[in-house]
Amino acid sequence: MSTLLASDTPIPPAALAARTELVLKSSEFRKGREASWHDLEALVGRVERKGARALSLDELQRLPILYRAALSSLSVARTIALDRNLLLYLENLALRAFLCVYGPRVDLRDGISTFFARDLPAAVRAARWHVFIAALCLFVGIAAGFLLAVQDESWVSTLVPSGLAGGRGPASTRADLYNKEIFAPWPGFAASFGVFANVLFSHNTAVGLLAFGLGLAAGVPTVMLMVYQGLTIGAFVALHYNRDLTVDFLGWLSIHGVTELTAIVLFAAAGLVVAEKLLFPGRYSRIESLAMHGRQAGYIAVGGILMLFVAALLEGGCRQLVASTPGRFAIGLATGILWFAYFRYAGREPRR
Amino acid sequence: MTLAHERTTQFLEGTRRQQRSIVTPEGVPVTVELADHGERLTAFIIDFVIWTLLTLLAYLPLLFMVVRRDAALLAMSVVLFVGFVVRNLYFIHFELAWRGATPGKRLVGLRVIDRRGGPLLPSAVVARNLTREVECFIPLGILLSWGAAKQGTPNWEHLFIAIWLLFFAALPFVNRDRMRGGDLIGGTMVIALPRRVLSGDLVERVAQYVFSEPQLRAYGAFELQVLEELLRRPKSLETTRVLDEVRDKICHKIGWTAPVPPGDTELFLREFYTAQRAFLEREQLYGKPRADKYGGAAPAA
Repeated sequence: MSTLLASDTPIPPAALAARTELVLKSSEFRKGREASWHDLEALVGRVERKGARALSLDELQRLPILYRAALSSLSVARTIALDRNLLLYLENLALRAFLCVYGPRVDLRDGISTFFARDLPAAVRAARWHVFIAALCLFVGIAAGFLLAVQDESWVSTLVPSGLAGGRGPASTRADLYNKEIFAPWPGFAASFGVFANVLFSHNTAVGLLAFGLGLAAGVPTVMLMVYQGLTIGAFVALHYNRDLTVDFLGWLSIHGVTELTAIVLFAAAGLVVAEKLLFPGRYSRIESLAMHGRQAGYIAVGGILMLFVAALLEGGCRQLVASTPGRFAIGLATGILWFAYFRYAGREPRR
Repeated sequence: MTLAHERTTQFLEGTRRQQRSIVTPEGVPVTVELADHGERLTAFIIDFVIWTLLTLLAYLPLLFMVVRRDAALLAMSVVLFVGFVVRNLYFIHFELAWRGATPGKRLVGLRVIDRRGGPLLPSAVVARNLTREVECFIPLGILLSWGAAKQGTPNWEHLFIAIWLLFFAALPFVNRDRMRGGDLIGGTMVIALPRRVLSGDLVERVAQYVFSEPQLRAYGAFELQVLEELLRRPKSLETTRVLDEVRDKICHKIGWTAPVPPGDTELFLREFYTAQRAFLEREQLYGKPRADKYGGAAPAA
């Protein structure tokens, strides 16, 4: 820099008599560095077209050095040059080189595996209190629904929307429930995976997104939605309890319910994270706070979608295939343990 | 970065792109230009066409299943699932392998970058693309499947999903950085990255015309850069006419009385440009920057 600013070459004595010679610092500066800019531009162009693999070892080592040189050229040019083309070019070159030097260095496989092996479980662990609260709301709902419906079965038709009830209600007999619901014959490959799984997935995702999205309304609707989900489940349990089918029903429910309810709880937890960051932004503005923690909530929601997908496959495809209650419990328990272990332990830093 | 050249851009092109500054890990602020909504939509449509074609290729083996009636529904599910997988792998793969550009973005000249100037992390890429499912495709699919199944009258679930879609479609229009939901969650933004070329230096080292300091004081950085842009225009009759007009104006303004031969217009202007730039750059170094002819001090870069 100091040599640069002092680089006013002395006017040669042989200068033409009638003409003056002008020496511009910015012009001298440009002459001295132009070659390295073009060098960098060529390297960056090749990386942009063919990826970093196109460069030789020597060129790879040169890239960051040339990049930092270009950054320093940019800083100098901003103070000494008024050449618009030069300034725009250097801005552009520095930015392009920056994106090459600091670009992602992993491929698709690494990216996806990092997400599932580390980011997703870490996001869920960080929101464990939100998960706990959401689960608590669900259980309160289940208990309330059960207590209400076990005494007066008209609550079942009140609490459960007719679309979801599918003909089940106070009028159902034990045999109805046993043969048409819990141990209904398998409807066949196409119907179970095609129609049923799709409908379930759509319905559950809509509920999940609702729980997540309503986090924006300070989380109150999210909590209410969780309690309501619990009420319908509790009412169903009561319906079967009164017909002495509790164990079979719970088995029927557990095969997919463990996954499905966990997913719904995760959606609600993501909604509660959003609500918390909106209500208690700490030292940041609400939008900043949301932007900072949005990633966590988004990860959890994406995880919820994928879990609902698994749940729909289990419910649509496998539930009626496994026609024994202990078998269903075994699958339900296994999925529960798997999910728990995954979210609890995956991608943990070893303790020091 | 200097206000002068942004002002020149606005003057010459009529519009100015929204700009943001990111600070590289080396501590140098670099200006980035936000991508327009139209550019992003164009890039998305190109990507949409490519990935739909890819998905169709994957569907071909399924065609025989559609022919068999009972398997058609199963085939539909597989189609939806394959579509989901191809779509996400496509975006994530290219944004990782091409440093924040998909084929569509590359054609339009867009890039995804980290909003705070850090490296673009793989988790951010995965997050911004998987969020696309949550904010758009899955709700859209649900709404369409309901529409197709004609499941009774529209209810609160339909309404909610529709509001959800509208909200996320409107999001890029209502925030300053034009972020969609995925950008907000991934901590990214989408910028336009045109490729600029370095033109030759306009400086004439040997000067025939000599200008005095009061004459050079007539203009500032803004006028200098407009003159630079005019001198860089490709030669044509129109350019010559404009340059002649500019020469007359300058001569009038600075009180230049000596004749300028008609063929020498460009040389005269280039020499004036050189002298003016040398003067203004020196003044700027001495802490007396001139933003324009009114003599306002240009803010430091």
